[in-house]
Amino acid sequence: MGKRVLVVDDDPDIVTFVVTVLEENGYTSLIAKNGEAGMSKAIEERPDMIILDILMPKESGIKMYRGLKDDESLKKIPVIVLSGIARRTFLRSQEALTGPGNQSAPEPEAYLEKPVEPEELAEMIRKFI
Amino acid sequence: MGVEKLLFVTQFEELWFDALQSLMELKKAGLNHVVFMHVIDRDKVAMRRGRGYLKDEEVKFKETANVRFIDWAETLFEQGMEVGAHILVGKLVPKVVSAAQEEGVDLIVTGYHKRGKIEELYAGSETIELLQRTSIPVLVHKYILPSGKVNERLFERPLLAADWYPASERAMEFLIGLSGIVQKVEVIHVVSEKSLKGSSAMAVQKTRKESRRKLDEICAAFHDEGIEAEAHLYVGNAAEQINRAARERGASMIVAGTTGKGHLREKWLGSVPKELAKQSEFPVLLVPAHVEPAGS
Repeated sequence: MGKRVLVVDDDPDIVTFVVTVLEENGYTSLIAKNGEAGMSKAIEERPDMIILDILMPKESGIKMYRGLKDDESLKKIPVIVLSGIARRTFLRSQEALTGPGNQSAPEPEAYLEKPVEPEELAEMIRKFI
Repeated sequence: MGVEKLLFVTQFEELWFDALQSLMELKKAGLNHVVFMHVIDRDKVAMRRGRGYLKDEEVKFKETANVRFIDWAETLFEQGMEVGAHILVGKLVPKVVSAAQEEGVDLIVTGYHKRGKIEELYAGSETIELLQRTSIPVLVHKYILPSGKVNERLFERPLLAADWYPASERAMEFLIGLSGIVQKVEVIHVVSEKSLKGSSAMAVQKTRKESRRKLDEICAAFHDEGIEAEAHLYVGNAAEQINRAARERGASMIVAGTTGKGHLREKWLGSVPKELAKQSEFPVLLVPAHVEPAGS
């Protein structure tokens, strides 16, 4: 079985696109449609990588990312953010979530703004797992 | 009862980003999560003879909404706010009710959504239908002042239209939950002229005294929470008098209870909120009576 990648996105078209890229490159995909479900899936399945959207119902990718980085057992899973939200906003929002005395979250392994070419995504995945 | 999470429903006709910004003072009352919602009417993308389902149209509408929501979300994310979005195809009211339940929001914010004239005659507006189908407080937002400026202090000076039903009590509790931002509440009760007709002077005075006592009790509840409150008794048509009082007292919004599900107190709790939502120039916060979940 290939390495497992958790795709967290509420847009079915994007999920289909990412899953196709993953499968064509020999990876196994796991799917969650919001940050809350994504976190549960990450705890349950311990994937080798997470591809994460930001603006989603129930719980955003920003909150889920913070949860991953605050969890000792999940913090080392590489994360590729794939979103329409600008990288600058992501970084600022992570800063806003850092309270006094808390460590700031490290930047994700890669930040790709939608839309992305299949080759670019595949290359980025190969780079980190 | 505070507001930690709200659902902001926009069809991009009536509520824009400045409307959203006018709600940000709710952060002082615990707001930390905003969920945007846009519903594309199924009729706009439905099957057409010879053209099938208009998938391209659906994608166009969805992406237009997405571009707007991403821009708004970036501003809120950078302020440390949690943000979510729903862009769906279907009928507005069922989708809003379902998303509000799924997200567990404390407040739904919407504009006044009309239907076609004939449909509205029979079914009322979509906003009224929403009020009838949810037990979550609904703010029918009208954020532009007559001066043309955006009202940035929406919750500072609400006018609570009080009757003596449970929904009205819940409306009071809702305002108490906003004690960080509400400075003064004008509490009014409207007695209909009809109810005074034929009464003796003694009976009229008795009605006045009894209403006044109840109003004072409400004011005392606000005072206990550190909120200034003033009682007023008006006589006449309820919706007209509530509006008049809001103008006279310099209110920033109108707050009233509604029937909630399964209640039939049409006269006060039904028609008055409908009129206020539709006609008033003020933002109107309508709070249904609490409905116990089935089986509880």
